[in-house]
Amino acid sequence: MSVKSNSVYTVLGPVSAAELGVVAVHEALLSVVPGAQYAFDVTLDRAAIFEALAARLREFRASGGGTVVDRTGLFHGRDVRLYQALARATGVHIVASTGQGPEAMLGGYFLTPQTNPPTPWPAEKFAELFAAEVTEGMVVPRVERLGPAGLVATAATRSGMTATDESLLRGAARAALATGVPVSHLFGADAVRELEIALDERLPADRVVIGGLDRTDAVAAGAPLEIARGGAYVALDHIGSTDEAYLTGAERVALVLELVRAGFGDRVLLSSSATGVAKGHDGNDVAFGHVLTRFVPQLRDAGLSEADVQRIVVDNPRELLSISVPVQASAPVSVD
Amino acid sequence: MSRVNTVLGPIPTEELGLVAVHEHIGYGMPGSELDTKWWRSPEQRYEETVPKLRAFHEHAEAYGGGTFVDVTGICNGRDVDYYRSLSAKTGVHIVACTGFVGGDTALPHFAAADVDYLTRQFVHEITVGIGGTGALAGVIKVGVSRGGRMTELDKRIYRAAARASLATGVPILTHLAIDAENAVAIFREEGLPLHRVLFGHVDDGVNAEKTRDVWIAEQGGRIGFDTFGYETELPDPPFWARPRRERLEHFLRFIGDGRITQVLASADANCSPLGWPGVKGHTVNYIFDDLLPDLRGAGLSEAAIRTVFVENPADFLTIQK
Repeated sequence: MSVKSNSVYTVLGPVSAAELGVVAVHEALLSVVPGAQYAFDVTLDRAAIFEALAARLREFRASGGGTVVDRTGLFHGRDVRLYQALARATGVHIVASTGQGPEAMLGGYFLTPQTNPPTPWPAEKFAELFAAEVTEGMVVPRVERLGPAGLVATAATRSGMTATDESLLRGAARAALATGVPVSHLFGADAVRELEIALDERLPADRVVIGGLDRTDAVAAGAPLEIARGGAYVALDHIGSTDEAYLTGAERVALVLELVRAGFGDRVLLSSSATGVAKGHDGNDVAFGHVLTRFVPQLRDAGLSEADVQRIVVDNPRELLSISVPVQASAPVSVD
Repeated sequence: MSRVNTVLGPIPTEELGLVAVHEHIGYGMPGSELDTKWWRSPEQRYEETVPKLRAFHEHAEAYGGGTFVDVTGICNGRDVDYYRSLSAKTGVHIVACTGFVGGDTALPHFAAADVDYLTRQFVHEITVGIGGTGALAGVIKVGVSRGGRMTELDKRIYRAAARASLATGVPILTHLAIDAENAVAIFREEGLPLHRVLFGHVDDGVNAEKTRDVWIAEQGGRIGFDTFGYETELPDPPFWARPRRERLEHFLRFIGDGRITQVLASADANCSPLGWPGVKGHTVNYIFDDLLPDLRGAGLSEAAIRTVFVENPADFLTIQK
C-alpha cells in the first residue's frame, strides 16, 4: 500500500505536482559518456553548455512544455549545480535522476572493488547509494550534496541482463520503495521479465516505467501491452528520431491508439530521449518539445481525444513523479 | 638536455634527488567519488598530505631533493591542480602520469577506444598537457586488470602506451608484472626497448610467487619492488600484504644476483586515500623510516642505495628523445 503525496522532487526541491504541466519524461540534459570528461578532444565549456541547454529549455517552454526529466542517472554527465541554474533561469522544472546502468557504463568501483575477490556490488549497496541521493541530496562528486533526485534510472544490457544489471534494478526498486520516487528502467532484452524483477522487490507496478518500448523487438514480443497489463508505465521514448531498431512515426501513433483503446491510456508515456548537449557520443538532436509540437498533432489526426492527450502528456507523468509514501514507513526527508 | 616532466614544469634530471617511483597522493577506483563514505574536506586532505610530503622533502635533502612519482591513472582521482599546489608549497617534485592503472579502471569512453585514440590521449597529456592544467605527464601508467591475466583492453592500453613512449621518450610503469609474456610481446612488437618499462609490484603478497621477475630482467626490463611497507605485521594489513622479512629477502636476493641497476623501489602509499580506507600508518616515508635502515642493516652500501633510489630512477625517468 502506498499513498501519493502531491509533490515532486525537482533539482530546486519539492514542488507541487500540479505545477509540472507537460512533462518530457525521458530526456537528457548534459549527457557525457563516463570518462569523456577526461578526454583530450572533449571540451566542457560550462557557459556554452548552459547557453545551449537554456535555449532548448526556453524553446520547450514556448511550445507549451513545463518539466523536463533528465534520466541519465548519477554518472553520465549529471551536473546538479548547472541544472539548478537552468531551472531558475528558464522557469522549466527540472527533475534529475539517481541510478546508473547498464553494467558497461559503471566505474570500476562498483565492478572490481579493492577487495579479494573483487566482488561486484550487490543490490543492497546500490539501494543505499541511490536512496541517499533522494533523501540527502544528489552528489557533486567529492564536494557536496545538492537537491533531491526525483527518480531512479537504470538500464539493462541490450544483449541480456547481467548479474550487475539485476543488482542495479533491484537496488533501484528498493531505493524507490524506501523514498517514494519512481524507477525508470530502460529494458535490455526482455522487458516483461525485467519488470518482474522490480516487482519481486515488492515495488508497486505503478511506481515503475519501462523505457524503450517503441523498439521493434519489444513490440514484436508484445511487451507494451503486457507491461501495461502488469500495471507499469509504458514509455515510447524515441519519438522524433529515425532508427532501424525503433518503430516508425506512423507505427508509434498506431501503438499509442492501440494502448488507449485497450484501456491503458493511463499507462502511456511519450518522450524523445533527446540529448540537450552530448559529449563523447553523437547524442540525439531532437527538441524537448518534439512530442508536443510534432507527435501530438499526429495523434489528434489519428483520432485521439483531447482528454487522452492531456492524460498522456500531463497526468501520467505527474502521477509517476509524485512522491509515493509507503503507508508503514515514515515520510522521506526532503532536501531543498 | 636531460629533462623530466613534473607538474610544475620540466626539471633537469640532476634535480630529481631521491625518487619514490610508485606512489599516490590519493587513489580511488572510478566511481568511488560518488560514494560519500570516502569524502574528506579539502582542509582534511591537505592536513593529511602536507606533513607527509614535508617530511619526505626533509629526509630527501641528503640526496639533493626528493621526487614523488604519482601513478594515479586518468580515471582514478588524478588531480593535477592539487598536485601543483602541493609541490609548490612543499618543495617536493611531483611527477604525474598519463595512462590507466588497468583496463578495469578505464571508464567507458576509453574502454571503447582503439589503440590510435588511446595513443593520442597519452601523447597529448605528455606533450600538450593534462586537461586544462598545462602540466605534462612524466610517465605512462599501464596495468593488468583484476583476474590475473591481461584483458583485451589491457593489451590495447599497453600497445598505445608503447607507441606514446616511443613518440615522446617518456617511460612506462606497470601495475603488476604478472602475465609478463604478453606485455613483453607487445612492447617488442612495437619496438620499445624494455629498459623503458618498469614492471611493478613484483614483490606484493598476492603476486610475488606468480611473477617471473628474473625472466623479465633477463629480457631487459626494469623491476619494481614497490609495495614496501604493506606488511602482514600491520594491525590491519591489506590483502596484498607480505611478511616484511620475506619481501626484504626477495629484494636482497634479486640485487645480489647482479641486477641492482635494474631495480627500483617504492612504497605505493596513499597520502590521503580517495576511495578506500588506506592503510593506517603506511606512508611514502616508509622508505626513510624503515626501508633504508633495513637495507643498511643488511649491509647495503650508500653507493648501492644511491643506485636504487637516485641513479636508476634518474636514468629511467629522463625523457629519451
